[in-house]
Amino acid sequence: MVQTDLLNGLAGEDGDRVLALGRRILLASGAELFHLGDEAECIYVIAQGRLRLTLPMQVRGQEQNVLVEERVPGQTVGWSALIPPYRFTLTATAPLETEVVALPREALRKHFAAYPEAGYVVSLNLASVIGERLQLFQAMWVREVQRMVEMRSA
Amino acid sequence: MEMLLMGACLSMFGLAVMCLAFGAATRDEKPADAAGLEKPMDTVKVAAPERFFVEGPLPVPVHARVPIEALLLQLENHVRLEQAAAESYMRAPNAALLHSRTMSTLVN
Repeated sequence: MVQTDLLNGLAGEDGDRVLALGRRILLASGAELFHLGDEAECIYVIAQGRLRLTLPMQVRGQEQNVLVEERVPGQTVGWSALIPPYRFTLTATAPLETEVVALPREALRKHFAAYPEAGYVVSLNLASVIGERLQLFQAMWVREVQRMVEMRSA
Repeated sequence: MEMLLMGACLSMFGLAVMCLAFGAATRDEKPADAAGLEKPMDTVKVAAPERFFVEGPLPVPVHARVPIEALLLQLENHVRLEQAAAESYMRAPNAALLHSRTMSTLVN
């Protein structure tokens, strides 16, 4: 069974039932899992390998995908699939051979309607993942603003 | 007596000349738009950077000379370092950790 932050606190068989809703996808090195702006139907749990999450940035007049975050086995990516308007806000690429479990939104919704306790635990886990990332990016943003202030007042 | 009056006259004349010169030197420029002309100079933004005491072409910034692949690697490294700094701040939130110095070559 894949150990993942999304299923923390769920009993073994409950976690297995959630993972059984998904399908395994093997990504070759350099393959793209999803692209910024694509419709988001699934969230993904990384089973093996790594995913690079990037955003486009203009570097010397050329658009480049710049790394924003890296995700490792056990972590979840693509929670845009659970949040309207269900569009990916980043691009995910595998820098090496990577395996993910794709969990479709509709299947999750139906499952959690049948097993509300599991839905509650997963929702809390998801809130925790999103909250941590929000705090992380707040801190990173404030550090950049601080540098900008120092440069302007130098 | 005549000498005294002449001296006083010359002093007054000198004083008047100095006052005129001082007034001319310290008088503000009248706004041109008062006369229906162009906008005053101080509202016009200067686009070109100041180049006093600089001879020849301006020095090229270090990042502009770096190949784009190296610059992208610097960016990645910067993101990783910033993320690590933010994570250590989240483990023990305080102002010193939030604004700890970075070793990133992108900003140093």
